[in-house]
Amino acid sequence: MTRLTTEALIIDIPGRASGVPLNLAIEPGQVWGVLGPNGVGKTTLLHTLAGLREPRSGQLLLDGTPLRDMRRKIVSQRMGLVFQDRQDGFPATALETALIGRHPWLSPWQMESGEDLAIAERALEALDVIHLKDRLVNTLSGGERQRVAIATLMTQSPEIWLLDEPTNHLDLQHQTAVMKLLRQQAACDRAVFMCLHDLNLAARWCDQILLLYPDGQACWGPARDMLVTSALESLFGQRLLSAELDGFPVFVPG
Amino acid sequence: MPISSPHKPLLVLLLAGFLAALLSVSIGSTTIGFEDTLRVITGSGTELQQTLILELRLPRTLSAFATGGLLAVAGALMQVLLRNPLADPYVLGLSGGAAVGALLAMLAGAAGFLVSGSAFAGAMLATLLVFGLAHGSGSWTPSRLLLTGVVVAAGWGAVITLILAMTPASRLPGMLYWLMGDLSHAATPWPGLIILVLVCLMVFPLGRALNVLARGSLQAAALGVSVRPLEWSIYLMASLLTATAVTMAGSVGFVGLVVPHMLRLVLGNDQRLILPACALAGGTLLVLADTLARVVIAPEQLPVGVITALIGVPTFLYLLYRSR
Amino acid sequence: MKHPGLAALYVLSLLAPLLAQAEGHCVSDALDQSVCLAEPARRVVSLSPGATELLFSAGAGDRVVAVSAWSDYPAEAAELPQVGDSNRLDLEAIVSLAPDLVVAWVDGNSRSQLERLSGLGIPVFWLAPRTFDDIAVAVSDLAFLTGSPELGAERAEVFRAEMATLNAQYADARPVKVFYQIWDQPLMTVNRNELISKAITLCGGVNVFGDLPRLVPRISREAVLEANPEAIITAGSSDNRQWLEAWREFSGLAAVAADNLFLEPPDLLARPTLRMADGARHLCQTLEQARANL
Repeated sequence: MTRLTTEALIIDIPGRASGVPLNLAIEPGQVWGVLGPNGVGKTTLLHTLAGLREPRSGQLLLDGTPLRDMRRKIVSQRMGLVFQDRQDGFPATALETALIGRHPWLSPWQMESGEDLAIAERALEALDVIHLKDRLVNTLSGGERQRVAIATLMTQSPEIWLLDEPTNHLDLQHQTAVMKLLRQQAACDRAVFMCLHDLNLAARWCDQILLLYPDGQACWGPARDMLVTSALESLFGQRLLSAELDGFPVFVPG
Repeated sequence: MPISSPHKPLLVLLLAGFLAALLSVSIGSTTIGFEDTLRVITGSGTELQQTLILELRLPRTLSAFATGGLLAVAGALMQVLLRNPLADPYVLGLSGGAAVGALLAMLAGAAGFLVSGSAFAGAMLATLLVFGLAHGSGSWTPSRLLLTGVVVAAGWGAVITLILAMTPASRLPGMLYWLMGDLSHAATPWPGLIILVLVCLMVFPLGRALNVLARGSLQAAALGVSVRPLEWSIYLMASLLTATAVTMAGSVGFVGLVVPHMLRLVLGNDQRLILPACALAGGTLLVLADTLARVVIAPEQLPVGVITALIGVPTFLYLLYRSR
Repeated sequence: MKHPGLAALYVLSLLAPLLAQAEGHCVSDALDQSVCLAEPARRVVSLSPGATELLFSAGAGDRVVAVSAWSDYPAEAAELPQVGDSNRLDLEAIVSLAPDLVVAWVDGNSRSQLERLSGLGIPVFWLAPRTFDDIAVAVSDLAFLTGSPELGAERAEVFRAEMATLNAQYADARPVKVFYQIWDQPLMTVNRNELISKAITLCGGVNVFGDLPRLVPRISREAVLEANPEAIITAGSSDNRQWLEAWREFSGLAAVAADNLFLEPPDLLARPTLRMADGARHLCQTLEQARANL
């Protein structure tokens, strides 16, 4: 069980004022959704949390240890990230792609074992892409590639899952399947932290919400408290109508 | 891929390399039959045959093998480093630096070891120059490195043209052959072979990290790879390999581009398999090309770079045509 | 040049004084173009080191106003103003010197560049000596064009006589198989059409690579081992001594066994000029030495 906390964290977006420092505590079992208009720094925040970017100030603690003092290999055993953009310069099959998730767990001289292979295949199966395992990734559709990327994270099996727009390119059925899978992971005491652009997905699946405003303001807390029509209207600069369906709030542009 | 036995393709390539070497030592401008060749290898045969095969052809065959292997491995590393399957060992201006070093030494009337040493120094200077310039400010990306290298390479090109323009005609043939890539300069194959084996052993434990790096530096970092140190160490390793190859044989083209590319099409992109396969296949290809260069118009000789370009250009165009 | 052309030139050079009286000073050059001067040239530009040397031999040294780069013989030539490298000439500099004759070299100068000079009305005389007699003819032609035909005819005759003497002296000598090395990396030699090879033949030697199709072929070391020459000769400064020493590695070579590795003095055989006679004489003595060693 691992928790990621941020202390007075200010992400570094060149040319923008620092705004409100973030003091987040991402606990096992939680599913976080980050909402905010385009360009507000959702991806930058995610990369900063993963330790791939230096923050402007403040620090990150993984179970109380400052992230920058930890070896990257140890960090990547505990925390993984699905990127929004992927590079497919060289041809690789879906199985090979998922299998790179085992990298943090193997020593330099170790080859992938049958067990590693089984882990990768289970992940592909969970994401419903096992039938594509021998296909080259660059021949797959956007949604299929997205699922292979999530399967890679699942193969990595860290305790903190960071995901940048995990439902991009996914059809409705797979959106739901992926969200269910993420909730299951949270139920196994993992923490999930994802950027979303779909309010209703956040409302349906997340229990914690972080709202990022273009002027650097931010607020966060339980979903019930954050998903208030007026707050969301000012966040997106868009009038919204809301209703409740099956116990979950639903928002549509007004 | 990693799981299916990686040994089989390597064994096939090793066998091909051995056969190519056997072919290469048994033919030349002088005809020595296959049985006679075997006889010489097992320690008999006439004195002339022994001299031809053991003192002239064998070192040259080994030099060709080392040069081809060095270039192909360097090319594969550069391609991963720049995340660009069309990169080659010379793309960052290394051969240009080496050529300027070698030509300046030739212009000053030097020969043999001085030319090789000067070429090596030039290659290392080019490496450090690009390293320094691309390292200069904070942001560092493969495209920045590539751009720096390409511009520096263009600069070397201009210096080469300048040197050629200032050289008396009598010295030009040596220079032109050097620029085309020619194995008659190779003094001894051993430094090249040793460096090739050492680097292959050093690269093997990095292989999986390179596989991850090929997916992009952020993805690699997220999977626990220390990207910057890894990138600089493969840059330096590829530079050392290329500098050694260029020192032995001048700038032999296309091996470093085509061999890794072709092997990826057949074997996939696991660097733990591709890198040793490049060493074997690159070596084999250059041994065959050099054999052709020696016999096409025997007893006259062609520079091996001409043959690799003649084979390489159409092969590469075909691959490119097929891939889209 | 093939024999008919050579013969024609030779005949022309003999007839030249007569022709000059009849229709001005006309001589046919290596491109079979007739070059006519109303009176002997006084301002001559030489476009190759060989042409410079031949001009001085023809007694026209004091009429040469500019030369191409690397014109280092005779010593006075090196002092003259230069008009560029033989394959990259400074046309402007040539034109501004207002020459009344330009001497060009078929194997070195650019035909298209010099057509501009002809177009400007500057007479261009092309040289391409491929035989010993061509050298003699070139000297007498140049002397004729620069107003000292008698001197030229005399020097040409002396040269011919020297070569004829050597020819007679070594006609029946025991043939020696010779490998003449002109470069080391890559390894290069000459074929039978090159004057050096003709000098070897003159001295009773046999150029082992005489039959190759290219004038300056690039060959492999193993071809040399197979040809097994009895003498290996190169020309140049002491730096080139190491080219020869490298052959000692191959003790099976007849040349190595007989210690027949010779360094000829530089320059004497390098250009098709009158110094060829000295070069050939030296080479013949070297081959005599080689015979003695065998």
